[in-house]
Amino acid sequence: MYCSNLTSWLSSRPSIYSANSHQFSDIPFVRLSLMSPANNRSQSSSPFSRIHCRLRQLRNRIDSVKNTQKITEAMKLVAAAKVRRAQEAVISGRPFAMAVVDFLYSLYEQLQFEDIDSPLMDVRLVNKVALVVITGDRGLCGGFNNAVINRAESRMAELKGFGVDYTVISIGEKGNSYFRRRDNVSVDRFIEGGGFPTAKEAQIIADYVYSLFVSEEVDKVELVYTKFMSFVRSDPVIQTLLPLSMKGEIQDMNGNCVDAVEDELFRLTTKEGKLTVERDRVSTKREGISPLIEFEQDPILILDAMMPLYLNSQILRALHESLASELSSRMNAMKTATDNAVELRKNLLTTYNRERQAKITGEILEIVAGADALNVD
Amino acid sequence: MTLNLCVLTPNRIVWDSEVKEIILSTNSGQIGILPDHAPIATAVDIGVLKIRLKDQWLTMALMDGFARIVNNEITILVKDAEKGSDIDPQEAQQTLEIAEANLQKAEGKMQAIEANLALRRARTRVEAINPIS
Repeated sequence: MYCSNLTSWLSSRPSIYSANSHQFSDIPFVRLSLMSPANNRSQSSSPFSRIHCRLRQLRNRIDSVKNTQKITEAMKLVAAAKVRRAQEAVISGRPFAMAVVDFLYSLYEQLQFEDIDSPLMDVRLVNKVALVVITGDRGLCGGFNNAVINRAESRMAELKGFGVDYTVISIGEKGNSYFRRRDNVSVDRFIEGGGFPTAKEAQIIADYVYSLFVSEEVDKVELVYTKFMSFVRSDPVIQTLLPLSMKGEIQDMNGNCVDAVEDELFRLTTKEGKLTVERDRVSTKREGISPLIEFEQDPILILDAMMPLYLNSQILRALHESLASELSSRMNAMKTATDNAVELRKNLLTTYNRERQAKITGEILEIVAGADALNVD
Repeated sequence: MTLNLCVLTPNRIVWDSEVKEIILSTNSGQIGILPDHAPIATAVDIGVLKIRLKDQWLTMALMDGFARIVNNEITILVKDAEKGSDIDPQEAQQTLEIAEANLQKAEGKMQAIEANLALRRARTRVEAINPIS
């Protein structure tokens, strides 16, 4: 759009000068009254009014671009600050998650030879799958929401191919509005409160999913969320939430094991003053469980108590990662927008100055020509 | 000799310091833990945890979880924990009433399970405010 303006301006340039030399009696101020509030691209009555229109139009455009730039920059900074908070939330949830994994593993080790039968580990024939899709609440975050929704859609198509029925539980405004329009069987719609996932919200979701699974309304629960890889990259992944695997390991749909033994930790570091993210693999220490540990209740009951905790921490983790991905997407999108705005403004300013100078030159030429004409006399 | 108590929730560490004794509410009743207790692992029910520091008893409302006691180190992992002093009595009472009403209205197995859990949680919170030594 900008380019077409430039070319039209360039093409009109010679005509302005010719107009100046021949119509020296036409003082610019007279032209003001004839000025029509036309679009700078439409045909104005004379070259003078066209310039004047253009100047004002350009001025307005420059101001609006400046304001937009301020907004996008502010959004970028806000997103950057929030990512830090999301990071911290994940880190403060670390001790819990690690302890759960630790205990579960040692418990499993001790109960290896016994017949374990917890309702959450019940592997049934899959007739219906629940897909928990985590999206964001607001837009302006690049391809974030679309990526997750597309992944969910492809999974639904896959399931349909297998002849398996599915139901969708959508978390996040964007997902909600999409699935509402989509006419899908959506079991429930949660609205993320306040944008910061808390254990209480994870609890609500976990309870809901738990009751769905235990009451045998669904046979498998999968989580679709965006995994935070780095500041520039985040991928939507599918993770099977229920039934929990016997070994306490959760397997990804593609068969990749998101192992319970190793845990991933990402932390914000500053490398040469720029923000980067490091992803560490922290090996949780496997201390041999003391053989003296007695179980106050039946080990199966204890396992029963552990599984929901694991479920809860998994969901919370997914929520946090999703949020961090959304924020980094938004940060990147807003950064690009700000850069574009800066460049656009620079170009517009150049055009504006050229127009202004052309107008002034025109007036000077006029005055000089007029004075010349008087001198000749 | 003191016990080192660590109460963890998915959000944060609620308690991480030394105590003299605790009374834990488990699926099979309440158990008291004194220093040099034998190592045990137990499931924690929705109930009140009482902590004794010197001669003072503190209460904490715990939701479902798990506890492990080894070598005077107590680690309690729960879905949520609230210190008795942090709970607003009025709000807790209201939540309890709402939970009771919801249970009456519950239809279907799923809703009944959910409503039951909510009721027990609300009841625990109310109990945590009034310390029963």
